[in-house]
Amino acid sequence: MTEEFEPKIVAFLCKWCSSAGSDLAGVSRMEYPANVIPIQVMCSGSVSPLYIFEAFNRGADGVLVSGCHPGDCHYIKGNMYARRKLLLVKKLLEHVGLEPQRFRMSWVSAAEGQKYTQVIKELVKELKPLGPQTKLRRERNG
Amino acid sequence: MVKHEDVRAEAKKLLESGKVKYIIAYELGADGWKANPVFIKKPEDVDKIIWGPTCFHNLIRFVVDEKRRKVQQKNPDTRPVGVMVKGCDSRAIVILLQEKFIERKDVHIIGVSCEKTGVIDERKLANKLKGRKAKNVEFGPDENFVVTTEEGTVDLPASEIMADRCLECIAHVPVITDVLFGEKTKRTVPHPFGSVEKIETLSSEDRWKFWSEQLEKCVRCYACRSVCPMCYCDECVADTITFAVSPDTTAEEKAQKIKWLDKSPVISENIFYHMVRAIHLAGRCIDCGECERACPVNIPLRMLNKKLEKEAKLLFGYDVGFDSEKPALISCFRDEDPEDFIR
Amino acid sequence: MDKILAKKDFPRWLEALGAYDVYAPQLIDDVWNYELATDRKAVSLDYPQTAIPAKKIVFPQREFFFEFREADTDDYKLKELLPEGKPTVIFGVRACEGKAVTLTDLVFGGEIADDYYWKRRNAAVLVGLACASPPSTNCFCLSVNGSPHSKEGLDVLMTDLGDQYYVEILTDKGKKLVSEGGAIFHEAKPPDKKAAEKIHADSEKKLARELKNIKDVPAKLKGMFASPFWDDESMSCIRCGICTYLCPTCHCFDINDEVESQTPLAGRRVRTWDTCQFPDFTMHSSGHNPRPDKAARLRQRINHKFQYFVEVWQNYQCTGCGRCITLCPVGIDIIKVVEKVRDHAN
Repeated sequence: MTEEFEPKIVAFLCKWCSSAGSDLAGVSRMEYPANVIPIQVMCSGSVSPLYIFEAFNRGADGVLVSGCHPGDCHYIKGNMYARRKLLLVKKLLEHVGLEPQRFRMSWVSAAEGQKYTQVIKELVKELKPLGPQTKLRRERNG
Repeated sequence: MVKHEDVRAEAKKLLESGKVKYIIAYELGADGWKANPVFIKKPEDVDKIIWGPTCFHNLIRFVVDEKRRKVQQKNPDTRPVGVMVKGCDSRAIVILLQEKFIERKDVHIIGVSCEKTGVIDERKLANKLKGRKAKNVEFGPDENFVVTTEEGTVDLPASEIMADRCLECIAHVPVITDVLFGEKTKRTVPHPFGSVEKIETLSSEDRWKFWSEQLEKCVRCYACRSVCPMCYCDECVADTITFAVSPDTTAEEKAQKIKWLDKSPVISENIFYHMVRAIHLAGRCIDCGECERACPVNIPLRMLNKKLEKEAKLLFGYDVGFDSEKPALISCFRDEDPEDFIR
Repeated sequence: MDKILAKKDFPRWLEALGAYDVYAPQLIDDVWNYELATDRKAVSLDYPQTAIPAKKIVFPQREFFFEFREADTDDYKLKELLPEGKPTVIFGVRACEGKAVTLTDLVFGGEIADDYYWKRRNAAVLVGLACASPPSTNCFCLSVNGSPHSKEGLDVLMTDLGDQYYVEILTDKGKKLVSEGGAIFHEAKPPDKKAAEKIHADSEKKLARELKNIKDVPAKLKGMFASPFWDDESMSCIRCGICTYLCPTCHCFDINDEVESQTPLAGRRVRTWDTCQFPDFTMHSSGHNPRPDKAARLRQRINHKFQYFVEVWQNYQCTGCGRCITLCPVGIDIIKVVEKVRDHAN
């Protein structure tokens, strides 16, 4: 039996909204795929493009950056900067030939545990047919 | 047409009056036909200064050096440096001013207009000459160049041997100057993003094929970074020492430094470096094309930076390097910035 | 005995070399480089100069020393990763590059030989191509004890006689390589030898550049270590690695552990090219950098080639290929710099 490919997703979650949202999903015992490696960051605006490149370099099949809804940012407008910066990152990744599905951004508030599970489910669903991400991944010896 | 004599006279005046510390300009190189950067310190040396279609270099790179030197001097000479700039180079000054890396009084800008053409592409010229060696290249009266080889003189249209960056140039007249030589000619560029649009039409897989083949050639000599006036960071993720070490830096801090990428020139690491550079130049790259020219293995690096210049323009209505009062591309936002990629 | 090979038979020779990896100059995106010849019929030796010298085949930019893996106990499992030393031929090697390899041989050889280097070096057969005319406008091999048809470091030297090559066998490795071609090689006749000699003699007159009277330069450099000369000369240097990475004799390297897994800790120890032109080359862990600026780094490059190497090995560590001049983005010209050193007042 061939095992189904399970994509590895690195998710940068803002401490104030999305990370709390994922916690809510957890404590509410909502079910969602276990493909995510969450990394809590202070703000989606603090996610350097470097983190995203590095995640792909170390073998992530998909990367998610999730922050507060516009207007809800704990730092007033960090997510607005993130929106602009990360769209450029997305465009660049696609320009070099990475599949567009592999990089994603979302707004998830602390109350949206349900939405968080939805985002992850969709992402996993879209990544599965793509198979492992090998383009930006560092070469490994076995 | 820009006359050498005029530029030299201006340089002489500046040096004699002591208004500038020295002048960064172009001189004729040892090969007898290409320009090289030169630093003119004495009025009697101004006759070295030339202007022509081989003045590729973005001399703002040396304004960055000057700034670095100055911060290390105890009692620095605060007079400005004179610098010869083309249209594209002048936009680099705008960025340095915008980022407050230099002050306006640090530079005396000697602008030269590229008028109807720009600089040539050495590789295109070599292909065109098929083994014959160029001895001299000059601006022609129209959109052309006059090339002299051992077999005589040929007239070549700009469209055939001009650098790609100049074919897509949106600022052939300097945008900020203290003195300007040459005419403010009108020029329309029908497809300022034509070359990058060609790559965009490729499928995702073909684009990957293209870039992986190109970036596999990279030997990580970092000439692209070194030649770039915008790459002035003291610390770079590409270096093995990625943070400033001082006597107070503890062994633990050193041990815990993050090694973002390996020194091995393999695809994953090469592309990592080039993507970091591209994103760091988003909204800062003024398309002087020096990275591409300096590359010893001819990687079309402009196509990474140009892509982001295009997106900045299309998505955020942002023009790079024209207004030093404007905030930088990624330190501002508009409420209506697109967010259809966010769920 | 010297041989003659008809140009039309050259592809047949290559095809007879099935046991070898064959490298030859190939044009990719307007840049010539020695590349593995996958289509041996398409190989042509009609080329000027590569951007990256042939050193990249005997001394690759990246090579592995060993791999390590954390074992169950506190121990590490180590496995040496010596190159297998597959027989390799490099075609079209210019005289200056053949000579350059003999200089890197000195560095990696001697009492403590570098096995990683020698595995590849011993397996490589260098087939030279005499320069009928200078492949670059910045060639100056004659000025640094070389010549456009030098045999140093080469196993075979080919000279283009129009529709045939004059083939000189210089070593046993070369002899074996030629014997693989069998009957396609013919004995050279005296007129062929004459023709080749004429091309060699003529080629020496065609070099556009020279670096004269440099006998005293090593001593001169010694006295110029603290001179402000270097500040002036290096003003336009942008501190990239082109001059050194693409130099056929530069051989400096860095050693890093490339970690592939944290638990268990596993990875490889890797050697990559490094260059004295990068600021972090000499950075101490204390934060002190003994070569703090580009003046010191340009001085290092010139001193190494024209003083230190001469003191240790009695030869210039420059073979006059002119790459660092041709490819320098700001036109720093090693000939000019050394001439200025020569003419510098004490």
